[in-house]
Amino acid sequence: MQILVVDDEGIVLESCRRVLEPEGFEVLLVKSADEALAAIENKGPALLLIDLKMPIHDGIYLMKELKKREIDTPAIVMSGYSTKETIEEADIMGACRFLPKPFTPDELLETVRQVLERR
Amino acid sequence: MFHSKRFRLIAGFLIVPFFAGGIFLFIGGYLLFHPMVQESAKQVRLSLNAADNIYNAQIKYVKVALEITILGEGFRFSLIQRDIPDLIDRLERMSVHSELDFAGIVTNSGSTLCRIGENSIPGDNVQPENPIAQHAINHRLKTAGTVVLSKTFMAHENPELSGRIQFYPMEHNNQDTIAQDTTADDEKKACLAIAAAIPIFAQRTNGELIGILYGGILLNQSTGIVDLVQKSVFPVGIQKETSLPTASIFFDTFRVATNMLDENGNRAIGTQVSGEVKEQVLVRGNQWTTREFCLTDRYIATYKPIEDIFGKRVGMSSIAILESNYSTIQRNFILFFIMATFIGTMIAIGMGFLLVYRILVPVHHLVKASQAVSDGYLNPEIGPVSKDPEIALLQKTFKDMVESMKRRRMASQSQILQSEKQASVGRLAAGVAHEINNPLTGVLTYTHMLLRRKDITDDIRSDLQVVAESTDRVRKIVKGLLDFSRQTKLDPETADINRLVDATIKLIENQALVKGVSVQFNRGENLPMFVLDRSQIQSVLLNIMINALDATEPSGLIEITTIAALSANDTGHRGVEIIISDSGCGIASDNLDKLFEPFFSTKEVGKGTGLGLSVSFGIVKEHGGNIRVQSEEGKGTKFFVWLPIDKPKDQPIDKQGEQNADFSRG
Repeated sequence: MQILVVDDEGIVLESCRRVLEPEGFEVLLVKSADEALAAIENKGPALLLIDLKMPIHDGIYLMKELKKREIDTPAIVMSGYSTKETIEEADIMGACRFLPKPFTPDELLETVRQVLERR
Repeated sequence: MFHSKRFRLIAGFLIVPFFAGGIFLFIGGYLLFHPMVQESAKQVRLSLNAADNIYNAQIKYVKVALEITILGEGFRFSLIQRDIPDLIDRLERMSVHSELDFAGIVTNSGSTLCRIGENSIPGDNVQPENPIAQHAINHRLKTAGTVVLSKTFMAHENPELSGRIQFYPMEHNNQDTIAQDTTADDEKKACLAIAAAIPIFAQRTNGELIGILYGGILLNQSTGIVDLVQKSVFPVGIQKETSLPTASIFFDTFRVATNMLDENGNRAIGTQVSGEVKEQVLVRGNQWTTREFCLTDRYIATYKPIEDIFGKRVGMSSIAILESNYSTIQRNFILFFIMATFIGTMIAIGMGFLLVYRILVPVHHLVKASQAVSDGYLNPEIGPVSKDPEIALLQKTFKDMVESMKRRRMASQSQILQSEKQASVGRLAAGVAHEINNPLTGVLTYTHMLLRRKDITDDIRSDLQVVAESTDRVRKIVKGLLDFSRQTKLDPETADINRLVDATIKLIENQALVKGVSVQFNRGENLPMFVLDRSQIQSVLLNIMINALDATEPSGLIEITTIAALSANDTGHRGVEIIISDSGCGIASDNLDKLFEPFFSTKEVGKGTGLGLSVSFGIVKEHGGNIRVQSEEGKGTKFFVWLPIDKPKDQPIDKQGEQNADFSRG
């Protein structure tokens, strides 16, 4: 099962890979929203982990693009700036869950499993 | 602005004396002068009546002089005997005593028998007619009055006298009274006299007419009558001699006797009256009063016709008063009012300046001061305290106002400082949180991944545990910062304050039970429903309750009370107060001021972020409420969270429609 992680921070990408790969997920790592769009079109991952705050195009832009292209892959939105407003915005854009940074490996796995089970 | 106000004020004061002065000038110059002239004209007319009486008395005097002369038998006897020297002697004595200019005796046929003067016995040549004697002969009666005597007659009568005086032509009037001698133009000239003629009879009372005694005084160039009139009607001393009224006698239109002086100081003999006076007096026979220019000055003059013994109007008598007598009074009057106006104006200017210094200068200071205040300077100079009680009151009120503004500004400054602190800390927190959370994710992940490994020794594991716990602390601090930074938007909903407190108490009940602290809730009755952000207010209450719990020793008490209360600092705003009091250690008075500052904490490091109360303060402020603290060290602390029922005042209502909608909902 493929999970695409989008984040401009390498340490976050690497952390996700470290946690998810041992659990049997195939992890795709991209550093920007545009790369993510291309990867989603080509590979068609089962789950998206999207960081909200990224340079050039942010997570909200990516969510909008997905909506536009009628891609309904479930998405978990991560952010180090978890205010009520950002959580709401992500919710409106169709995010399944909001995962505040920093998170422990357990918190990440728990969230991913919940979203996948719901599908 | 100041200047124009000052000058407007002074101008206002000036208008009054100017206006009053103008009215008085009008009254004094015109309204008073006019009746005064009228009054003086009346006085002149009355004076002329008195002058007339003197004139008539003079005629009577001539008549009486003649009558006395013929008393006794001597005169008649001499006349019958034609004793000419005796008669002349008698005539001479009479003339001298009575100051007659001419006198003589005419026979019953009308021819002159004898007379006074050089030519005392006329020859046989033709005698000019003697009008006065002829009148007496014709009527056989005593005659006295004014007569016109021709120059020819006077030349015969008294050549010496007639050479001295001026004769004037008779122009329009009484041609038949002039001698019929028309030999030359010169002979048409005549003069005016007062004269009398007494018929003398053979017996004392009756009998044959044997002669006429006549005599008279020439008026032309005479001074007697006019000076007598002047002296008796206007005694010197009442008026200045130079401005004395004058008396004149006119023959026809010619001034023949007068004490009016011409520019050289001589008697103004020979001047003529105006056509108007001639028309009114000589032709129509009226008494006529007029203001006229005569010789050198303006006069108020009155004229009255003089009739001769035939009843013809042959001349005029006149009294004239210098108008300058009255115009001097008028000038004095006007001068007086000008002075009064001037003094009034000076007083007004004085008062104006007094006002300027007593009122406008302090007001000017106050204006400057209020400008300074509006520019934000709260220690303005308001000038010396005014003596004027109202201005002084104004100054005091202004001072009080500035003082209260100062106090309020200090209060609001501390509030602004507080919210500015919160805002900047918020911005900092937001930025820091985002930056820290990404590496923190790495730290957490890697630490936990390491901890899962089975091939590590126990001491490495315990070290890694410390890393994990410390990272968790960092995570909490950052979360606190984020909570602090997001105090902007409220999510208001209707809530029951008591239920909210209940729910919050439930959250700490277990901890309190473990610690052995009892929690008591004094539920307020009939509290209104609130519109508030339930989760935010709950976090406020929770924060304070946890603090209370931390401060309270086992077996202590936390008491929570809800009560309807008016705002402590606002003016009578209605609301509800939630009082959370504990029996804990209390707060040092030094720390009370810093209680709501961000990052202030008395808890040991790691137990509090120092943001809780600061965040709570922000949330309550956002709701339009406030938090107060009462604390005594060792006895406990009371937190008062007050929330308003009505919308906070400073929350603007954008549209009228919204307001209406609110009312309809309520």
